[in-house]
Amino acid sequence: MIDRSAARHRSALSYTVLAIALVVTLVPLLYLFSLSLMGRDETVSGILWTSSPKWSNWAEVIGTVIPLSIGNSLLAALGGAALTLVFALPGAWAIARFRAGGRTLGATLMSPWLLPPIVAVVPLLTLLRIVGLNNTLPGLAIVYALANVPVAVWLLEGFVRRLPKELEEAATIDGAGSWRTLVSVIAPLLAPSLVAVGIIVAILNYNEFLLATFLTQSADTQTFPVALSLFYGDRTPHFGKIAAASFIGVIPVFAAAVFFQRWLVSGLTAGAVR
Amino acid sequence: MANTATRVRPRSSTGQEPRRQARAHRLFVAPTILAIVVLGAYPLLFILAGAFSDSTLGKPFRNWVGTENLEVVLADGDVVASIVRTVLYALGVSVVSVGLGVVIALALERATRSGAVVRTLLLLPLITPPVVVGTLWKLVFNPGGGLLDTLLRGVGVEGASIAPLSSTFWALPAIGLADVWQWTPLVTLLVYAALLTQDPAVREAASLDGAHGFSLFREITWPAVAGTVAAVFFIRLVIALKVFDLVFIMTSGGPGVASTTTSYVIYQVALKEFDIGRASAITLVFAVVVTLVTIPFAVLTRRLTHD
Repeated sequence: MIDRSAARHRSALSYTVLAIALVVTLVPLLYLFSLSLMGRDETVSGILWTSSPKWSNWAEVIGTVIPLSIGNSLLAALGGAALTLVFALPGAWAIARFRAGGRTLGATLMSPWLLPPIVAVVPLLTLLRIVGLNNTLPGLAIVYALANVPVAVWLLEGFVRRLPKELEEAATIDGAGSWRTLVSVIAPLLAPSLVAVGIIVAILNYNEFLLATFLTQSADTQTFPVALSLFYGDRTPHFGKIAAASFIGVIPVFAAAVFFQRWLVSGLTAGAVR
Repeated sequence: MANTATRVRPRSSTGQEPRRQARAHRLFVAPTILAIVVLGAYPLLFILAGAFSDSTLGKPFRNWVGTENLEVVLADGDVVASIVRTVLYALGVSVVSVGLGVVIALALERATRSGAVVRTLLLLPLITPPVVVGTLWKLVFNPGGGLLDTLLRGVGVEGASIAPLSSTFWALPAIGLADVWQWTPLVTLLVYAALLTQDPAVREAASLDGAHGFSLFREITWPAVAGTVAAVFFIRLVIALKVFDLVFIMTSGGPGVASTTTSYVIYQVALKEFDIGRASAITLVFAVVVTLVTIPFAVLTRRLTHD
C-alpha cells in the first residue's frame, strides 16, 4: 500500500499545478477585462486595475460595426456548421460501417487540413467569383461548411463505431433501406454527438480569420475577427476600446462553452480516444 | 428502384439488394468527397498550375515557365530562412505545449476534487478566437504599461521598458508564448480523456506490487497514454506549422523578418505582391517540408497505437 503522506503529498502537488495553470489561463483574460474599463490615459499608465471603472468603452464599441460583425460571424458559423453536419453524417456512417470509399478516402480525408489555409484562399476566391458568391455571407458559410466536413466525419466516425450494431440490423430486417436507417435510426441515436460536433465546428467557424478576410471584404459582410483586426487603424490606438471590442466578441463563444461544456468535452475527446 | 421492389422474385431481389446498398453508400460519401475535392484537390491543382506558370492574381496561368518559379524561390534566402524559422518555431511550441499539457492532465486526474468548472476555465483559451488571443498578448507585451511591463516593474526590474514584440530575438518566442497559451488546453483535454479510459484495476494491482510515484507512472500510466500523446503531438505540430493569425496581429512578421513564418510569406507574395506563381512555388516547397517534418511523428503515432 502507498503510505498516506506520499499520497497526500502527491495530491497537494496536483492542486498546486492546477492552481498555477488556472492563474496563467485566467490572468490575461482578466487583464483584458480590466483594460476594457479604463480610460485612454489609464491603459498606458502601468496599472492593473482602474480605481474608477467605466463602461464607456463598451458603450462606444456597441456603436461601431462590431455588433453587426458578431451577427455576421454567428450566421456564417451556425449556417456552415449545420451544412457540415448534413454533409458529414451520411459520410461518417458509410465510412464507419461499410468502408465506403475504401482506403483512398480514409487516407485522403484529413489531407486538406495539413496545409496552411492561406493555400486555399486564391483558388477559393476564384471559385466564388465564378459562382457569384464572392463577398457574401452565404459564400463564406458554404466554404466553412465544406472546410469542416473532414474534421466532422473524423469525429462522428468515432461516435458511430460506439453505437451497437443490433439496432441497424433490426432496421434492415424490418425492410428499411439505407436512407431510412440513416434518418430514423442513426440520426436520432447520434443526436448528442451531432450537437457536440456541431458546436465544435461552429466555434471553429466563428474564430476563423484568414478566409473571412478575403471572402468578406465589405463592411456589411465582415465577420468579427476581421472587424477586430481592423480596429488598430488609428495611429494611437485606444487600448481600452480594443479590449472592450475583443471581450464583447468573445462572449458568444464563452457562453456556448459554459452552456454546452459537457458536449464540447465529449466531442473533442471522441476522435482521440477510440 | 420501384420496379425491383414490386418484382415477386425473391432470389433476384437478394441479388439487387447489395448493389442498391452500394449505390446508396456511394451517395452517402459524395458530399465528403466533394469537400476533399473543393478544399484539397482543387487548390492543389491550382497551386501546381501556378507554380509552373507565370501567374498574377488578375491573370493566372499566363504562360508555362517550367521550374523557373521553383528555382527563384529555392535561391531566395528569405524564403528558405522563413521555412527553417517556421519548423523550429513549430517544434519548440509543440514540445512546450505537449509537456505542459501532459503535466496539467496528470494533475487533473490526480486532483479528484477538481470539478467541471475548473475544466471549463482551463479550456477557455482554446475557444478564444486567435485574433483575440493575438490582441490580448499584444496588450500584455505593450512596453508602455502593459501587463508584463507592469509586473516586471513591480518586482523591481528597472531601466528600459521591456518590448518583446519589437526585439528581433524575442518577437517569435513572444508569439510562441501566445500560441502555447492558446493550444495547451487541447493537449490537456485529450491526454486527460486518455487517462480516464485507463483500467483502475491495473493500477491498483501495480501499486499493490509496490510500484508508486514515478515508477508507477513509468510502468503503467505512460505506456497507456503514449499513443495519445504522440497523436496529440502530431496534431499540435501541424497547427503550429500553419500559424498565421497570431503573426498577422502581433508583429506583422516584424521587426524586419524576425517573426515572418512561411504562411505569412505566402500571404505577402500572393496577396500583397499578387505574384501567384512565386506564392504557389513557395507553397509547394513548404508542403514538401511539412510532409517530411510530420511523417516521423505520424509513423510513431501509428506504431504506438497499433502495437
